[in-house]
Amino acid sequence: MERRVVITECSAITPIGHGKDEIVRHLVEGISGVKKIRKDDLLSGFIDCGVFGTVDYPLDYDFKRQHRKTMGPVSYYACQVAKEVLKNSGLNHDFITSGRLGVAFGSTHGSPSVQRGIYKSFFSKSRSSFSKIGAVDYLKSMVHTTAANITKMFGITGRVFSSSTACTTSSQSIGFGSEMVKYGMQDAMLCGGADEYDTTTVAVFDNLLACSTEFNDTPHLTPRPFDEQRDGLVVGEGAGAVLLEEYEFAKKRGANILGEVIGFSCNNNGGDLILPNMDGITETIRLGLKDAGISADSVDFVSAHATATKMGDVIEAHAMGRVYRDFPVVTGLKSYMGHTMGSCGAIETIITLYMMEKGFIPPTLNLDKVDDRCAMVKHARTLIETDVHIAAIQNFAFGGVNTCLIVKKV
Amino acid sequence: MTRDEIKNEILGIFKDQFEIENPGLDDDLREVHEFDSIDAIELLGEIEIILSSELTRAEKKGAMEIRTINHILDYVESLSLARAKG
Repeated sequence: MERRVVITECSAITPIGHGKDEIVRHLVEGISGVKKIRKDDLLSGFIDCGVFGTVDYPLDYDFKRQHRKTMGPVSYYACQVAKEVLKNSGLNHDFITSGRLGVAFGSTHGSPSVQRGIYKSFFSKSRSSFSKIGAVDYLKSMVHTTAANITKMFGITGRVFSSSTACTTSSQSIGFGSEMVKYGMQDAMLCGGADEYDTTTVAVFDNLLACSTEFNDTPHLTPRPFDEQRDGLVVGEGAGAVLLEEYEFAKKRGANILGEVIGFSCNNNGGDLILPNMDGITETIRLGLKDAGISADSVDFVSAHATATKMGDVIEAHAMGRVYRDFPVVTGLKSYMGHTMGSCGAIETIITLYMMEKGFIPPTLNLDKVDDRCAMVKHARTLIETDVHIAAIQNFAFGGVNTCLIVKKV
Repeated sequence: MTRDEIKNEILGIFKDQFEIENPGLDDDLREVHEFDSIDAIELLGEIEIILSSELTRAEKKGAMEIRTINHILDYVESLSLARAKG
Protein backbone atom coordinates (compact mmCIF):
# COMPACT_ATOMS: atom_id res chain seq x y z
CA MET A 1 0.00 0.00 0.00
CA GLU A 2 1.43 3.37 -1.03
CA ARG A 3 -0.34 6.48 0.20
CA ARG A 4 0.21 10.14 -0.66
CA VAL A 5 1.96 12.16 2.04
CA VAL A 6 1.34 15.86 2.48
CA ILE A 7 2.81 18.58 4.67
CA THR A 8 0.07 20.44 6.50
CA GLU A 9 1.89 22.60 9.02
CA CYS A 10 5.39 23.85 9.73
CA SER A 11 7.36 26.09 12.04
CA ALA A 12 10.98 27.18 12.29
CA ILE A 13 13.30 29.00 14.65
CA THR A 14 16.26 30.24 12.63
CA PRO A 15 19.04 32.83 12.71
CA ILE A 16 16.87 34.86 10.29
CA GLY A 17 13.79 34.79 12.43
CA HIS A 18 11.06 32.77 14.05
CA GLY A 19 8.02 32.11 11.92
CA LYS A 20 7.09 32.70 8.30
CA ASP A 21 6.81 36.51 8.17
CA GLU A 22 10.21 37.24 9.65
CA ILE A 23 12.00 34.51 7.71
CA VAL A 24 10.46 35.57 4.39
CA ARG A 25 11.33 39.21 5.11
CA HIS A 26 14.99 38.32 5.61
CA LEU A 27 15.02 36.29 2.39
CA VAL A 28 13.31 38.94 0.31
CA GLU A 29 15.38 41.80 1.71
CA GLY A 30 18.64 39.83 1.63
CA ILE A 31 19.36 40.12 5.35
CA SER A 32 21.85 37.73 6.91
CA GLY A 33 21.46 36.11 10.33
CA VAL A 34 25.17 35.50 10.76
CA LYS A 35 26.72 37.41 13.66
CA LYS A 36 29.89 37.34 15.73
CA ILE A 37 30.47 34.08 17.57
CA ARG A 38 29.04 33.80 21.08
CA LYS A 39 31.57 33.90 23.93
CA ASP A 40 31.39 30.77 26.06
CA ASP A 41 34.35 31.23 28.43
CA LEU A 42 35.66 27.90 27.19
CA LEU A 43 37.17 27.51 23.75
CA SER A 44 35.54 30.28 21.76
CA GLY A 45 38.53 32.57 22.30
CA PHE A 46 40.85 30.08 20.63
CA ILE A 47 38.75 29.40 17.55
CA ASP A 48 39.89 31.14 14.37
CA CYS A 49 36.33 31.33 13.08
CA GLY A 50 34.65 34.34 14.68
CA VAL A 51 31.15 34.04 13.22
CA PHE A 52 28.01 32.06 13.96
CA GLY A 53 24.45 31.75 12.69
CA THR A 54 22.82 32.79 15.89
CA VAL A 55 19.32 32.85 17.34
CA ASP A 56 19.83 36.04 19.35
CA TYR A 57 16.25 37.20 19.77
CA PRO A 58 14.05 36.35 22.76
CA LEU A 59 11.72 33.37 22.48
CA ASP A 60 8.59 33.39 24.58
CA TYR A 61 8.56 29.88 26.00
CA ASP A 62 5.57 28.88 28.06
CA PHE A 63 6.38 25.35 29.21
CA LYS A 64 5.22 23.85 32.48
CA ARG A 65 7.90 22.84 34.97
CA GLN A 66 6.97 19.17 34.48
CA HIS A 67 8.21 19.55 30.93
CA ARG A 68 11.04 22.04 31.47
CA LYS A 69 12.81 19.86 33.98
CA THR A 70 13.95 17.35 31.35
CA MET A 71 14.81 19.87 28.65
CA GLY A 72 18.17 21.27 27.64
CA PRO A 73 18.36 24.22 25.23
CA VAL A 74 18.02 21.95 22.19
CA SER A 75 14.71 20.58 23.49
CA TYR A 76 13.40 24.08 24.16
CA TYR A 77 13.86 24.80 20.46
CA ALA A 78 12.39 21.45 19.43
CA CYS A 79 9.37 21.60 21.72
CA GLN A 80 8.60 25.20 20.74
CA VAL A 81 8.38 24.44 17.01
CA ALA A 82 6.54 21.18 17.73
CA LYS A 83 4.06 23.05 19.93
CA GLU A 84 3.41 25.64 17.23
CA VAL A 85 2.91 22.97 14.58
CA LEU A 86 0.46 20.92 16.66
CA LYS A 87 -1.42 23.99 17.89
CA ASN A 88 -1.86 25.36 14.37
CA SER A 89 -2.64 21.98 12.84
CA GLY A 90 -6.06 21.72 14.40
CA LEU A 91 -5.44 18.08 15.30
CA ASN A 92 -7.35 17.23 18.45
CA HIS A 93 -5.98 15.69 21.63
CA ASP A 94 -7.63 12.34 20.95
CA PHE A 95 -5.82 11.97 17.63
CA ILE A 96 -2.49 13.24 18.97
CA THR A 97 -2.53 10.63 21.74
CA SER A 98 -4.14 7.83 19.71
CA GLY A 99 -0.98 6.16 18.45
CA ARG A 100 -1.76 7.25 14.88
CA LEU A 101 0.67 10.17 15.19
CA GLY A 102 4.40 9.41 15.46
CA VAL A 103 7.50 11.53 15.97
CA ALA A 104 10.68 11.64 13.91
CA PHE A 105 12.88 14.29 15.45
CA GLY A 106 16.59 14.53 16.14
CA SER A 107 19.65 16.60 16.84
CA THR A 108 23.34 16.22 16.12
CA HIS A 109 24.25 15.06 19.62
CA GLY A 110 21.60 15.98 22.16
CA SER A 111 22.41 18.96 24.33
CA PRO A 112 26.13 19.78 24.40
CA SER A 113 25.68 22.53 27.00
CA VAL A 114 24.19 20.01 29.43
CA GLN A 115 26.94 17.54 28.58
CA ARG A 116 29.55 20.17 29.42
CA GLY A 117 28.01 20.49 32.91
CA ILE A 118 28.39 16.74 33.36
CA TYR A 119 32.04 16.88 32.24
CA LYS A 120 32.71 19.55 34.86
CA SER A 121 31.47 17.11 37.49
CA PHE A 122 33.83 14.44 36.14
CA PHE A 123 36.84 16.62 36.60
CA SER A 124 35.91 17.91 40.05
CA LYS A 125 36.58 14.40 41.44
CA SER A 126 34.30 15.04 44.41
CA ARG A 127 31.54 12.94 45.88
CA SER A 128 29.09 15.86 46.00
CA SER A 129 29.57 16.60 42.28
CA PHE A 130 29.14 12.93 41.43
CA SER A 131 25.82 12.86 43.26
CA LYS A 132 24.59 15.78 41.19
CA ILE A 133 24.77 13.77 37.95
CA GLY A 134 21.25 12.51 37.79
CA ALA A 135 18.56 11.13 35.57
CA VAL A 136 17.63 14.67 34.57
CA ASP A 137 21.05 15.30 33.07
CA TYR A 138 20.71 12.19 30.95
CA LEU A 139 17.19 13.09 29.84
CA LYS A 140 18.33 16.60 28.91
CA SER A 141 21.44 15.53 27.03
CA MET A 142 20.66 12.14 25.46
CA VAL A 143 20.74 11.96 21.71
CA HIS A 144 16.98 11.49 21.41
CA THR A 145 16.16 14.19 23.94
CA THR A 146 14.22 16.27 21.39
CA ALA A 147 11.93 13.43 20.32
CA ALA A 148 11.44 12.18 23.87
CA ASN A 149 10.53 15.60 25.24
CA ILE A 150 8.09 16.19 22.38
CA THR A 151 6.30 12.89 23.07
CA LYS A 152 6.12 13.71 26.78
CA MET A 153 4.83 17.23 26.29
CA PHE A 154 1.96 16.20 24.00
CA GLY A 155 1.30 12.62 25.12
CA ILE A 156 2.22 11.20 21.72
CA THR A 157 2.11 7.41 21.73
CA GLY A 158 2.97 6.45 18.16
CA ARG A 159 6.30 5.45 16.66
CA VAL A 160 9.37 7.41 17.74
CA PHE A 161 12.42 7.73 15.57
CA SER A 162 15.36 9.95 16.40
CA SER A 163 17.84 10.36 13.60
CA SER A 164 21.23 11.69 14.60
CA THR A 165 23.18 11.91 11.38
CA ALA A 166 24.62 15.41 11.71
CA CYS A 167 23.62 17.53 8.72
CA THR A 168 21.07 15.00 7.42
CA THR A 169 19.36 14.55 10.79
CA SER A 170 16.16 16.39 9.98
CA SER A 171 16.02 15.59 6.27
CA GLN A 172 16.08 11.94 7.36
CA SER A 173 13.36 12.74 9.90
CA ILE A 174 11.12 14.05 7.14
CA GLY A 175 12.13 11.37 4.65
CA PHE A 176 11.78 8.37 6.92
CA GLY A 177 8.72 9.97 8.52
CA SER A 178 7.11 10.28 5.11
CA GLU A 179 7.77 6.60 4.45
CA MET A 180 6.02 5.67 7.69
CA VAL A 181 2.93 7.50 6.46
CA LYS A 182 3.32 6.36 2.85
CA TYR A 183 3.40 2.69 3.84
CA GLY A 184 0.59 2.95 6.38
CA MET A 185 2.52 2.55 9.61
CA GLN A 186 1.34 5.95 10.87
CA ASP A 187 -1.35 8.33 9.67
CA ALA A 188 0.66 11.38 10.63
CA MET A 189 4.23 12.16 11.66
CA LEU A 190 5.67 15.18 13.44
CA CYS A 191 9.13 15.51 11.91
CA GLY A 192 12.12 17.77 12.25
CA GLY A 193 15.35 18.58 13.98
CA ALA A 194 17.04 21.05 16.26
CA ASP A 195 20.50 22.07 17.36
CA GLU A 196 21.66 24.54 19.98
CA TYR A 197 24.81 26.65 20.00
CA ASP A 198 27.78 24.35 20.42
CA THR A 199 31.39 25.47 20.60
CA THR A 200 32.58 21.90 20.08
CA THR A 201 31.01 21.74 16.64
CA VAL A 202 32.61 25.04 15.65
CA ALA A 203 35.98 23.89 17.03
CA VAL A 204 35.83 20.61 15.11
CA PHE A 205 35.08 22.29 11.79
CA ASP A 206 37.62 25.01 12.58
CA ASN A 207 40.36 22.45 13.20
CA LEU A 208 39.41 20.72 9.96
CA LEU A 209 40.04 24.10 8.26
CA ALA A 210 36.43 23.98 7.04
CA CYS A 211 35.16 27.11 8.84
CA SER A 212 35.02 30.60 7.43
CA THR A 213 37.66 32.85 9.01
CA GLU A 214 38.17 35.74 6.59
CA PHE A 215 34.97 37.61 7.41
CA ASN A 216 35.11 37.77 11.21
CA ASP A 217 34.64 41.53 11.15
CA THR A 218 31.88 41.40 8.53
CA PRO A 219 29.84 38.34 9.51
CA HIS A 220 27.01 39.12 7.11
CA LEU A 221 29.38 38.56 4.17
CA THR A 222 29.83 34.88 4.96
CA PRO A 223 29.14 32.05 4.20
CA ARG A 224 29.40 32.49 0.43
CA PRO A 225 28.13 29.32 -1.29
CA PHE A 226 29.45 28.84 -4.84
CA ASP A 227 31.25 32.21 -4.70
CA GLU A 228 34.85 32.56 -5.78
CA GLN A 229 35.78 34.06 -2.40
CA ARG A 230 34.05 31.48 -0.21
CA ASP A 231 36.28 30.33 2.61
CA GLY A 232 34.24 27.79 4.51
CA LEU A 233 31.09 27.11 6.43
CA VAL A 234 29.52 28.99 9.31
CA VAL A 235 27.98 26.90 12.07
CA GLY A 236 24.51 27.92 13.22
CA GLU A 237 21.63 26.88 15.44
CA GLY A 238 17.88 26.55 15.12
CA ALA A 239 14.96 24.18 14.77
CA GLY A 240 12.35 23.18 12.26
CA ALA A 241 9.26 20.99 12.45
CA VAL A 242 6.76 19.84 9.84
CA LEU A 243 3.58 17.84 10.17
CA LEU A 244 3.14 15.06 7.63
CA GLU A 245 -0.28 13.53 7.07
CA GLU A 246 -1.80 10.95 4.80
CA TYR A 247 -3.41 12.92 1.97
CA GLU A 248 -7.00 11.62 2.24
CA PHE A 249 -7.00 12.08 6.01
CA ALA A 250 -5.70 15.64 5.66
CA LYS A 251 -8.21 16.48 2.92
CA LYS A 252 -11.12 15.01 4.85
CA ARG A 253 -10.41 17.09 7.92
CA GLY A 254 -9.90 20.25 5.87
CA ALA A 255 -6.21 20.69 6.65
CA ASN A 256 -4.25 23.37 4.83
CA ILE A 257 -1.96 21.44 2.49
CA LEU A 258 1.37 23.22 2.07
CA GLY A 259 3.02 20.64 -0.16
CA GLU A 260 3.37 16.96 -0.93
CA VAL A 261 6.43 14.82 -0.28
CA ILE A 262 6.62 12.95 -3.58
CA GLY A 263 10.12 11.55 -3.28
CA PHE A 264 12.89 10.75 -0.85
CA SER A 265 16.27 9.16 -1.18
CA CYS A 266 19.03 8.37 1.27
CA ASN A 267 22.29 6.64 0.55
CA ASN A 268 25.87 6.52 1.71
CA ASN A 269 29.10 7.25 -0.08
CA GLY A 270 30.45 3.94 1.19
CA GLY A 271 33.89 5.24 2.05
CA ASP A 272 35.36 8.44 3.40
CA LEU A 273 33.47 9.88 6.37
CA ILE A 274 34.24 13.52 5.65
CA LEU A 275 34.97 14.21 2.00
CA PRO A 276 31.96 14.80 -0.27
CA ASN A 277 31.62 12.23 -3.01
CA MET A 278 30.40 13.09 -6.48
CA ASP A 279 29.13 9.62 -7.35
CA GLY A 280 27.34 9.29 -4.01
CA ILE A 281 25.65 12.68 -4.31
CA THR A 282 24.74 12.17 -7.96
CA GLU A 283 23.13 8.87 -7.08
CA THR A 284 21.18 10.47 -4.22
CA ILE A 285 19.69 13.02 -6.58
CA ARG A 286 18.84 10.38 -9.19
CA LEU A 287 17.28 8.11 -6.57
CA GLY A 288 15.17 11.00 -5.26
CA LEU A 289 13.84 11.75 -8.73
CA LYS A 290 13.22 8.06 -9.36
CA ASP A 291 11.29 7.72 -6.10
CA ALA A 292 9.19 10.73 -7.11
CA GLY A 293 8.64 9.28 -10.55
CA ILE A 294 9.64 12.51 -12.29
CA SER A 295 12.30 13.59 -14.72
CA ALA A 296 15.05 16.09 -13.91
CA ASP A 297 13.46 18.77 -16.07
CA SER A 298 10.33 18.72 -13.87
CA VAL A 299 12.21 20.30 -10.99
CA ASP A 300 11.89 24.09 -10.74
CA PHE A 301 14.08 24.71 -7.74
CA VAL A 302 16.92 23.04 -5.86
CA SER A 303 17.80 23.95 -2.30
CA ALA A 304 21.46 22.96 -2.42
CA HIS A 305 23.29 21.77 0.68
CA ALA A 306 25.96 24.34 -0.27
CA THR A 307 27.90 24.86 2.95
CA ALA A 308 30.46 27.11 1.20
CA THR A 309 33.41 24.82 1.68
CA LYS A 310 36.00 24.83 -1.09
CA MET A 311 35.40 21.31 -2.37
CA GLY A 312 31.88 20.58 -1.15
CA ASP A 313 30.28 23.23 -3.33
CA VAL A 314 32.25 22.18 -6.42
CA ILE A 315 31.28 18.54 -6.05
CA GLU A 316 27.62 19.36 -5.40
CA ALA A 317 27.52 21.71 -8.40
CA HIS A 318 29.02 19.01 -10.62
CA ALA A 319 26.57 16.40 -9.31
CA MET A 320 23.66 18.75 -9.98
CA GLY A 321 25.07 19.53 -13.42
CA ARG A 322 25.25 15.82 -14.23
CA VAL A 323 21.61 15.22 -13.34
CA TYR A 324 19.83 18.51 -13.91
CA ARG A 325 22.08 20.30 -16.40
CA ASP A 326 20.73 23.86 -16.20
CA PHE A 327 17.00 23.24 -15.67
CA PRO A 328 16.19 24.22 -12.07
CA VAL A 329 17.19 27.38 -10.26
CA VAL A 330 19.63 26.67 -7.42
CA THR A 331 19.91 28.54 -4.12
CA GLY A 332 22.20 27.89 -1.18
CA LEU A 333 19.95 28.90 1.72
CA LYS A 334 22.77 28.52 4.25
CA SER A 335 24.11 31.79 2.88
CA TYR A 336 21.44 33.52 5.02
CA MET A 337 21.91 31.74 8.32
CA GLY A 338 24.93 29.49 8.27
CA HIS A 339 24.74 25.75 8.72
CA THR A 340 22.12 24.96 11.34
CA MET A 341 23.41 21.39 11.51
CA GLY A 342 20.76 18.88 12.57
CA SER A 343 17.96 21.29 11.78
CA CYS A 344 19.10 22.40 8.33
CA GLY A 345 17.09 19.87 6.31
CA ALA A 346 13.84 20.78 8.04
CA ILE A 347 14.50 24.52 7.94
CA GLU A 348 15.40 24.40 4.24
CA THR A 349 12.27 22.35 3.52
CA ILE A 350 10.13 24.86 5.41
CA ILE A 351 11.69 27.79 3.54
CA THR A 352 11.00 25.97 0.29
CA LEU A 353 7.33 25.66 1.32
CA TYR A 354 7.26 29.42 2.00
CA MET A 355 8.69 30.00 -1.48
CA MET A 356 5.99 27.79 -3.01
CA GLU A 357 3.29 29.69 -1.17
CA LYS A 358 4.63 33.18 -1.86
CA GLY A 359 5.92 32.56 -5.39
CA PHE A 360 9.55 33.60 -5.14
CA ILE A 361 13.08 32.23 -5.14
CA PRO A 362 15.65 34.10 -3.06
CA PRO A 363 19.16 34.50 -4.40
CA THR A 364 22.16 32.84 -2.80
CA LEU A 365 23.44 35.59 -0.53
CA ASN A 366 27.03 36.78 -1.02
CA LEU A 367 27.27 35.11 -4.41
CA ASP A 368 29.12 38.00 -6.03
CA LYS A 369 31.16 36.03 -8.56
CA VAL A 370 30.35 32.42 -9.26
CA ASP A 371 33.36 30.10 -8.99
CA ASP A 372 33.98 28.78 -12.52
CA ARG A 373 34.01 25.26 -11.09
CA CYS A 374 30.44 25.75 -9.82
CA ALA A 375 29.09 27.46 -12.93
CA MET A 376 27.36 24.49 -14.56
CA VAL A 377 24.01 25.12 -12.82
CA LYS A 378 21.53 27.99 -12.91
CA HIS A 379 22.30 29.98 -9.76
CA ALA A 380 19.73 32.37 -8.29
CA ARG A 381 21.61 35.68 -8.36
CA THR A 382 18.69 38.01 -7.72
CA LEU A 383 15.25 37.66 -6.16
CA ILE A 384 13.06 35.84 -8.67
CA GLU A 385 9.27 36.11 -8.61
CA THR A 386 8.07 32.78 -9.96
CA ASP A 387 5.90 29.82 -9.14
CA VAL A 388 7.75 26.88 -7.67
CA HIS A 389 5.87 23.65 -8.41
CA ILE A 390 8.45 20.99 -7.65
CA ALA A 391 11.55 21.43 -5.51
CA ALA A 392 14.44 19.26 -4.39
CA ILE A 393 16.07 19.74 -0.99
CA GLN A 394 19.57 18.26 -0.81
CA ASN A 395 21.55 17.57 2.35
CA PHE A 396 24.84 15.76 2.93
CA ALA A 397 26.45 14.79 6.22
CA PHE A 398 29.66 13.67 7.88
CA GLY A 399 29.63 9.92 7.78
CA GLY A 400 28.96 9.95 4.06
CA VAL A 401 25.17 10.18 4.43
CA ASN A 402 23.25 11.92 1.64
CA THR A 403 19.55 12.75 1.33
CA CYS A 404 17.27 14.28 -1.27
CA LEU A 405 13.67 15.26 -0.58
CA ILE A 406 11.35 16.07 -3.47
CA VAL A 407 8.40 18.30 -2.57
CA LYS A 408 5.53 19.30 -4.84
CA LYS A 409 3.06 22.15 -4.54
CA VAL A 410 -0.47 20.74 -4.34
CA MET B 1 15.02 20.80 63.89
CA THR B 2 11.37 20.95 64.91
CA ARG B 3 8.68 19.52 62.65
CA ASP B 4 7.43 23.05 61.95
CA GLU B 5 10.90 24.17 60.87
CA ILE B 6 11.19 21.15 58.59
CA LYS B 7 7.74 21.86 57.18
CA ASN B 8 8.67 25.44 56.34
CA GLU B 9 11.86 24.30 54.62
CA ILE B 10 10.07 21.59 52.61
CA LEU B 11 7.20 23.85 51.56
CA GLY B 12 9.76 26.47 50.50
CA ILE B 13 11.52 23.88 48.34
CA PHE B 14 8.22 22.81 46.80
CA LYS B 15 7.42 26.41 45.95
CA ASP B 16 10.85 27.42 44.65
CA GLN B 17 12.11 24.21 43.05
CA PHE B 18 8.94 22.44 41.99
CA GLU B 19 6.57 25.40 41.50
CA ILE B 20 4.01 23.70 43.75
CA GLU B 21 2.45 26.21 46.14
CA ASN B 22 0.73 25.26 49.38
CA PRO B 23 0.19 21.57 48.69
CA GLY B 24 -2.16 19.80 51.08
CA LEU B 25 -0.12 17.90 53.66
CA ASP B 26 -1.88 14.66 52.74
CA ASP B 27 -2.20 15.25 49.00
CA ASP B 28 -0.93 12.35 46.89
CA LEU B 29 1.96 14.27 45.33
CA ARG B 30 2.06 12.21 42.14
CA GLU B 31 -1.67 12.21 41.55
CA VAL B 32 -2.39 15.80 42.53
CA HIS B 33 0.83 17.64 41.66
CA GLU B 34 2.57 15.44 39.02
CA PHE B 35 5.51 15.01 41.40
CA ASP B 36 7.45 12.12 39.88
CA SER B 37 10.51 9.98 40.52
CA ILE B 38 12.82 12.60 39.01
CA ASP B 39 11.47 15.19 41.43
CA ALA B 40 11.90 12.73 44.30
CA ILE B 41 15.60 12.33 43.52
CA GLU B 42 15.99 16.10 43.32
CA LEU B 43 14.19 16.46 46.65
CA LEU B 44 16.64 14.05 48.29
CA GLY B 45 19.46 16.38 47.27
CA GLU B 46 17.64 19.26 48.93
CA ILE B 47 17.08 17.18 52.07
CA GLU B 48 20.83 16.57 52.24
CA ILE B 49 21.29 20.33 52.28
CA ILE B 50 18.70 20.76 55.06
CA LEU B 51 20.41 18.10 57.16
CA SER B 52 23.92 19.24 56.19
CA SER B 53 24.61 15.56 55.74
CA GLU B 54 24.74 13.06 52.91
CA LEU B 55 22.07 10.36 52.82
CA THR B 56 23.17 6.76 52.63
CA ARG B 57 21.97 4.59 49.76
CA ALA B 58 19.69 2.72 52.20
CA GLU B 59 18.21 5.99 53.46
CA LYS B 60 17.56 7.10 49.89
CA LYS B 61 15.83 3.82 49.08
CA GLY B 62 13.71 4.34 52.20
CA ALA B 63 12.28 7.48 50.60
CA MET B 64 10.86 5.69 47.58
CA GLU B 65 7.54 4.92 49.28
CA ILE B 66 6.88 8.55 50.19
CA ARG B 67 3.61 9.87 48.75
CA THR B 68 2.65 12.98 50.75
CA ILE B 69 4.18 16.03 52.41
CA ASN B 70 3.44 14.48 55.78
CA HIS B 71 5.42 11.39 54.71
CA ILE B 72 8.31 13.68 53.78
CA LEU B 73 8.14 15.39 57.16
CA ASP B 74 8.17 12.02 58.94
CA TYR B 75 11.13 10.96 56.85
CA VAL B 76 13.21 14.09 57.46
CA GLU B 77 12.29 14.18 61.13
CA SER B 78 13.48 10.61 61.63
CA LEU B 79 16.74 11.31 59.79
CA SER B 80 17.27 14.45 61.82
CA LEU B 81 16.72 12.59 65.07
CA ALA B 82 19.03 9.77 64.01
CA ARG B 83 21.78 12.26 63.24
CA ALA B 84 21.20 14.11 66.55
CA LYS B 85 21.68 10.82 68.43
CA GLY B 86 24.90 10.33 66.46
